[in-house]
Amino acid sequence: MGDYLSQVNATSFYVIVAAVLAFITIMCGYIVVKCYRAGIKMGMDPAALKKTITSSATFTLLPSISILLGVIALSGTLGVPLSWLRLSVIGSLQYELNVAEIAAQSIGLSGLRLEEMTIGSFVTIALVMTIGILGGLMFTLFFLKKYLNKIRKAPKKENSGKPGFGAHATTAMFIGLCGAYIGAYIGKAVPREGSDIMPLLVAIVAGIAMAVFEFLIQKKGKVALENFSLAASMLIAMAAAVGFGIIL
Amino acid sequence: MNEKEKYIEDFNNGLHRLGRTLMVTTIILLIGVPFVFGMLSGVMPDAKGFLAGYLKVAVIYLPVSFVEFLVYAPMLGVGGSYIAFITGNVTNMKIPCAMNAQDIAGTKPGSAENEIVTTISTAVSAIVTTLVIVAGVIMLVPLQPVLQNEVLLPAFNNVVPALFGALGLKYFAKAPKIAFIPVLLMTLLCIFVPSMINQTSVLMIPCGALALAIGFILFKKDKL
Repeated sequence: MGDYLSQVNATSFYVIVAAVLAFITIMCGYIVVKCYRAGIKMGMDPAALKKTITSSATFTLLPSISILLGVIALSGTLGVPLSWLRLSVIGSLQYELNVAEIAAQSIGLSGLRLEEMTIGSFVTIALVMTIGILGGLMFTLFFLKKYLNKIRKAPKKENSGKPGFGAHATTAMFIGLCGAYIGAYIGKAVPREGSDIMPLLVAIVAGIAMAVFEFLIQKKGKVALENFSLAASMLIAMAAAVGFGIIL
Repeated sequence: MNEKEKYIEDFNNGLHRLGRTLMVTTIILLIGVPFVFGMLSGVMPDAKGFLAGYLKVAVIYLPVSFVEFLVYAPMLGVGGSYIAFITGNVTNMKIPCAMNAQDIAGTKPGSAENEIVTTISTAVSAIVTTLVIVAGVIMLVPLQPVLQNEVLLPAFNNVVPALFGALGLKYFAKAPKIAFIPVLLMTLLCIFVPSMINQTSVLMIPCGALALAIGFILFKKDKL
């Protein structure tokens, strides 16, 4: 286990990830400069452009810390370099963890469990996580220009007032995803050979923590907590898992 | 077409070229990473395991990516879309950040000024996130011996239940009418057919389809 963790936390892995992220960050910097200059050329107020930069930077600061908490949560099984890359580019915590779990099961592991991980399973899981999330990039790469041109030329439709099924479809997809896992945790907790109550207990603690956050956000108006509710609920449940590990 | 419109069209075409170049390079770099990790460690990704995992992931995430692309691209414009879809955290960070910047700048949707503000905002957001995570990772490295302590093993082994406990509460509470039947069915299945417990990656597909079907029926009946 220690051997696996030292392999996935190798210095060379850090260097590779740092190089990829440096390239993307430099390109983003280049785009900021290009757009800033274009804005000035179009007659935009430089003060307004500078305000865009400072307001976007301050707006992003706090939510970024929640992503960092995700890196900590993921690093225990996948090491810091891969978690750092995956959560800095394209991914989000819920996607990465779910896909890592699917990939782990697909290569014959019982799940994303540290004691079952090998460097071979690690690279396969990393590849599934990487290619699995490229859909959005592919659609953007091939269809963005046509799609935006079509939208610009399309006549504006009257709003019927009723939102479409799209928003509900995403909720339903996530319910299906969570339902399969929660059902499995309940099934696993039933006393019989090979049963394990720990996943259910951890899920319950995470659910309670999330309920408290939702209460504070929805009923007490603490909207700033929204960015942290998922990562913080997970860390609370993971801390509880350490306690359960000692007791059980 | 007047001079300003011509300039804007050229600028947008330039952004498309730059965005596509950035995207293709990023895709090559990202796919290369697991292979380089493998080469350095003397192992390569397992093709059969990869295909089995990818097909399950694609069934769930390709439609989600498509819907996200259709919904968010018009909000983000040309430059914003390329950057946001490369750097991720679109819903929770890039969209609110871009909307906030548009509000502050007072630009009109669809205007060239709006395009500039959205692109700058999305790119700055991506840079700040990367810098914050870099700072965090630098602090995380000396903590590795603590994080690898045996006592913490249950925490990292249960990161997936922690995720789905928290997410489950959020989504079940959001649409209990959709959630009730799929969750009940999955629970009964896993109680009475224990071999299904370790097949969540397969179960989530029919469970998702069932939730979608129930959601659609309720939506059509105006009961959501």
